[in-house]
Amino acid sequence: MNLERYPYYATNDAQEYTFYSEGPRGSIKKIVKFVKVRDNPTVYNLGFGDEDPLTGMIDDLAITDNKDRDRILATVATTINEFCDHYGNHYIYAEGNTPAKTRLYQMSIGRMLNEIKPNFEVYGFREDVLEHFQLNVNYEAFLVKRKEK
Amino acid sequence: MPETKKMPYQKGFGKPVAIIGESSHDNDPFFIEKLEKAKKRLANVTFPIEIKK
Repeated sequence: MNLERYPYYATNDAQEYTFYSEGPRGSIKKIVKFVKVRDNPTVYNLGFGDEDPLTGMIDDLAITDNKDRDRILATVATTINEFCDHYGNHYIYAEGNTPAKTRLYQMSIGRMLNEIKPNFEVYGFREDVLEHFQLNVNYEAFLVKRKEK
Repeated sequence: MPETKKMPYQKGFGKPVAIIGESSHDNDPFFIEKLEKAKKRLANVTFPIEIKK
């Protein structure tokens, strides 16, 4: 992957990552957290949101646009790669907080698909059925799996 | 945490700038709710048979 991304931090257990989005709205702390959803096969949920500077909690109602959506997605992809280095090439599930955000993620994935596909299988949920990610299709959620080297 | 705001953007996959200890969001309702939503959607999905090519 040859995309621009932010530098990032990791927790000891490599299940949570932090980076700062920089842009017209200032410096916004982003949190990426992986939590196991199921086994057979193993799937982890990728949760992603802005940390409220006052409470330290994730603010899922925040509407921030630092004009860096693709750089943010590239950084999230990097955290997925780092997570997989520690835990293996399991399925990673992701869904936006709202349908609108899911659509934004989908558009970013579509733009970056040629950079992502060499390293990851990418799937989308459409009417609760998984299919290989296609452009110009509206998905409800996504699943990625790092390819074996 | 080390200051990253002045660090240049990086390209490609790379290692974290630093390891920052334990998670502080294990009990955050946001992640708990996201997990429950994921469990519901994935409850009836069979891998990989249902993955269409």
